[in-house]
Formats: sequence, C-alpha cells, structure tokens
Amino acid sequence: MRILLVEDDPLLGDGIRAGLRQAGFVVDWVRDGVAAQAAIAAEPFAALVLDLGLPRMSGLDLLRRLRAAHDPIPVLILTARDTYADRIRGLDTGADDYLVKPFDLGELAARLRALLRRTAGSPEPLLRVGAIELDPAGHSVRLDGRAVELSAREFALLHELMANAGRVLSRRQIEERLYAWGEEVESNAVEVHVHHLRRKLAPELIRTVRGVGYLLPAPPA
Amino acid sequence: MTPAPRPRSLAGLLLALLISAVTLTSLATAAISYFTARGEVDEILDGHLAQAASLLIVQLGHELDEIDTEHAPTLHEDARKVAFQVWEGGRVLRLRSANAPPDALAGPAGGFSERLVDGRRWRIFSQWSGDRGYLVHVAERADTREKLARKLAARQLQPMLVAIPLLALLVWLAVRRGLHPLRALARQVAQREAQNLAPVEAATAPREVQPLVAQLNALLARLGASLDSERRFTADAAHELRTPLAAIRTQAQVALGEHEVGARRHALEAVLAGCDRLTRLIEQLLTLSRLDAQDAETRFSSCALDELAAQAVAESAPAAAAKDVDLALEAPQPLEVRGNADLLRACLRNLLDNAVRYSPAGASVRLSLFDEAGRARITVEDSGPGIPREERDRVLERFHRLLGSGAEGSGLGLSIVARIAELHHAELRLEDSTLGGLKVTIDLPAAASRRTAVP
Repeated sequence: MRILLVEDDPLLGDGIRAGLRQAGFVVDWVRDGVAAQAAIAAEPFAALVLDLGLPRMSGLDLLRRLRAAHDPIPVLILTARDTYADRIRGLDTGADDYLVKPFDLGELAARLRALLRRTAGSPEPLLRVGAIELDPAGHSVRLDGRAVELSAREFALLHELMANAGRVLSRRQIEERLYAWGEEVESNAVEVHVHHLRRKLAPELIRTVRGVGYLLPAPPA
Repeated sequence: MTPAPRPRSLAGLLLALLISAVTLTSLATAAISYFTARGEVDEILDGHLAQAASLLIVQLGHELDEIDTEHAPTLHEDARKVAFQVWEGGRVLRLRSANAPPDALAGPAGGFSERLVDGRRWRIFSQWSGDRGYLVHVAERADTREKLARKLAARQLQPMLVAIPLLALLVWLAVRRGLHPLRALARQVAQREAQNLAPVEAATAPREVQPLVAQLNALLARLGASLDSERRFTADAAHELRTPLAAIRTQAQVALGEHEVGARRHALEAVLAGCDRLTRLIEQLLTLSRLDAQDAETRFSSCALDELAAQAVAESAPAAAAKDVDLALEAPQPLEVRGNADLLRACLRNLLDNAVRYSPAGASVRLSLFDEAGRARITVEDSGPGIPREERDRVLERFHRLLGSGAEGSGLGLSIVARIAELHHAELRLEDSTLGGLKVTIDLPAAASRRTAVP
C-alpha cells in the first residue's frame, strides 16, 4: 500500500518513512502542502499522513482543498497541537484520524491499516480470497492454513491484488503502487514478482489478461 | 516591622466629622444665647431695680412714718433675693428689708454698683429722693441673673440633645447610602475569579471613583495582555518540543526494528541529531525566558564591542568551517558601547549562527562594526537565500520559521536578537545585503551618552 507522507521536519519525516517501510508500506515523502497536492494528483496513494504545520500550504488548507475536490483519500493527521478544539477542527475539516506527536510508530502503522481496511469496506483485519489468507499487520500469508514465505515486494503485490480482487490491475498501476519515487523499477519487475507468487502459492491463482494486466479472481459470492 | 496601620473607615470618618461639626455648632449657639441672655436679663432686671427704687421713693413721701422696719413692704415676689435700705439724709438708716445688712449697701453716689455681702455678689441701684431727703438702695443678688441666663441657654441646648443622636443616625444612613456605589464596586471586584481580567463595570461608579476604576481597568488590561503572551509562549514552547521528541522516538523505534546495519546506524545518528536539536531548542527557550524576566534595569557597563564581536566570530567559526561557509569580521577600530556584555555576545552569536545555518555551503557571512557619528552600528550579512520583504516582520516573532528553509532552527534566534536589541534601546532592521542574502543592522544608542531612562 503506497502512502504519501507530508512532513516538513527532516528528522521526523525520515524516521516515519523508514518506520512505515519497515511496516510494509510503500512511502513517498514530500515536505510542503503544494508538493503534496501535486503528488496526490499524479499518483495513486492509498492514504495520506499529514502534518499540519507545513510550509507554503498548511495541512488543513490542503485537506480542505482535497475534500472540496471530492477526493476520498483517507487522511491521518499528525500534529503537535493536542487540544480537543484542534482535534475536532482537524476531523471536521475532513481528516479520518488524528495522532498527536510524539506517537508510537506501531500505532501509526496500525491506524493506517485500520483506515485502509475501512476504505476497502472490510471489517475483517485479515484479507481472504479463496484459500489465501493475508495478515497486513503480521505481514504473513497462509495458503490452506499453511504459512508461506514471501519477500516484501511479493507480499505488497499480493496485498494489492487481494485488495482489488475481481478487478484487473495494469502493470503500470501495480508499479505505481509498489514503488515510491526514486526507486529503480526493472522493466520486467512485475512479471518476475507475479511469477514468484504463482510458484509459491498456486500456478493458476493470478490470471494474466493479455495486453491489460493481472487479475486475482474473486471467489463466487 | 511595625504592624500595618488599620485602614481608616471613610464612613466612620465622615460620621465623626459631621457629628463633631453639628455638636460644635450647637455649643457655639448655646454660648451665644447665654451671653445674649445675660445682657438682656441684666438690662431688664436693672430696669426693675431702678423702677423699684423709684416706687420706694414715691411711697416714702406719705407713708414712711407709718412703716417700721419690721413691716417693710415686699417689693418683689422673690423677696429673699431683693433687699433695700432707706437712709434719711444719707446718714440715718430709716428703713431696711429683713435681708439687708445694717451698714450702707453702697456709697452716697447714685446709680448702679456691685458689692459682696456675706460672700454673695449683689447688684445695687442707689437713688436720692427729689428733695435729696432720702437715699434709697435697692439690691438684688447677682447669681439670680446668672441662673436665669443659664436656664435660658440650657433651654436652647435641650432640643439638641435629642437632635444630635437622631442626626447621627440620619448622617450614618446617608453616608452608608452615599458609599453604596463604592461597596458595590468592591463586591464586584471581590466576586471575580482570579482568572477574570475583564474590565470592572465603570458605568455605575460615582464620578469621583471613575479615575480609580479607569486606572484599575488599564492595569487589568496590561496584566491580561502580559498573561496572554506568557500563556501563548508556554503553549507554543510545549508544542515546539513535541516535534523533535516525536522525531527522536520515531528514529529510535526505526533503529530497534532495523536489521540492516547501515540503516540502523542512520536511524541512531538521527536520534543523536534529534537530541542535539532538542537541547538547542531548550537552551534558546531558557535564554528567552531569562531575557523576558530582565527589564530596563539590566546592568550596563562599558563594553568593547570589537572584542565581543571577535569572540562571537571565533565561537561560530567551527560550524562555519564544517559547512564551508566563509566567515569574516570587519572591525577596523576599537568601539566602546554601553551595554551588557553577555547579552551583546549572545546577540552576535545568534545572528552569526542564523547566517551560517541558513546559508548554503560556500556562502559568505560577514560581521561588521561601524562608528556612525558616535552611534555603534552592527551589521551581519550573508550571501544566503535572504528573507522575503513580506516575511521580515514575522521572522522576529517567536517560533516563526522561514518556510522551506528546513526546520533545524528553533525559530527563536531572531526573537532573542530582537529582545536583546530592545533591552539596549537599539534599533533592529532587516534589509537586503549586497552579498545577496540578508543584512541585519543593529544601531545602538550613542556610546558616550549615559544610559537614559526610556519609558
């Protein structure tokens, strides 16, 4: 899941990016509101982690603009302001969650997972498609109850396919969701990861839709 | 220490003054009545005495032979206090009242006289009969007159004895009524909570108290403003501490969760950098709070500004060198100023730190001292990005960081500089530098002039 982090403090931004990467997220980091707006317009982020005291455009202004443009992206606010009035204003402006600095990295990751789950309309913390079970928090995958070892990138790919089960994802869409800016993407990287997933799980699991992309079929309802 | 004197009650004072005035007036009136009455009583009774003497002379003409001393006529209802003597030819006592002494009451001259008889003062009127055959003395005890005058004066005082307590009660009620607005004001002030610094309601206060209420409200307003800024500063300071703390915590957690040696090392270095930043922020906060506590009474002495500048440049040199920033001091001659050496050095340090911190590698920073017709001028210039014109006022505010400048600064450096300049009654200006970046100018008051009290 690709997250956009908007934080102007260099040490904190660097730490959150590293911490969320450890938690399995793909993280892009920008340092001001204007850059964040441009990034959201250009890339498919699953959620936004937003600091409020930002240069150029404040976090609340950015949030207001996003909501005015009917952008439904889940937004978690990070701020040093901890009064109830501040929290209420943040939530009422359109934020989905709120964390006061200093916070626990584990809690930040858990809240992001909860946000993503709610956005997907699933009350269940585990993702299940057919015989595959994926635990975003525990970073584990089971097939017929048996643990399967996956690399971080393979896990992220499977997570995206399962979250979009029944929909075709193009190679470009997958690349955008799996790689942050500045990360080297080999031209056949997605094919390689799909190949590995098929080998580790089941060959027929991921369907190739020629000229379009990949599909994890949703089990019959 | 002597105990504080009990405050005087305005109501008590007014009551005492008014009642004393009324009592004094009453006593004065009574005294005047007494003396007036004395005069009038004298006049009337002297008239009576003269009349009695005349009557006695008229009677003497035909009845003297039939009257003996034992049956002398009663001339006055208050007979015991009136006496008379009839002397034939002024030498032989022919007739006297029982209470009259046997010797002559007065001399042969006619008219009014006074003498003591048996220790009592008598008033005497003497008159010769028309043919000068008889000399008649009619006498009256003088203390009767005294008693009468006293009685008259006392009668005047009597109503006052009733009136004064009544008056005291009325005055007390009136004073209470008159002081009611003051008590209402006191109650209004007493009932407010400690946090309530809203102005006292002045509309109902009497005109005499309006200046007091106005001053009180002005004081409350000043107090409120300073409390507000203190509260805002504390809140801002607490918030400013949260971000570096969050950075340290986050980086520490990253280091704990990181298996790769290089990445873990990076996170741990970030923890240290965060601690350094927090330390610097706290130092700046302490400096500022100490500066806030100081006032115009800050001890000033003669300082060698050129030496302070050299020290500040030396202290900033390592940071400048690490960043490959060219740091230079231009102080062509010794320069004396009146000021606080520690504060001036801190001011220069902050200016240099800022210039080095916000300038890119390879930039130049220059500290120059000038003697402008007796006024010392300090300028710190850099070839960094400068501060946009519209931002220049705001950067002096506490915690205001320039946008896009990175956030290593505390946002307090220029606030500290501004506060030190203020304490030295110096003028602070932010301008464009010929080096390309920011030029900060501080004009200190004339070095030669003694420190003058500035309101």
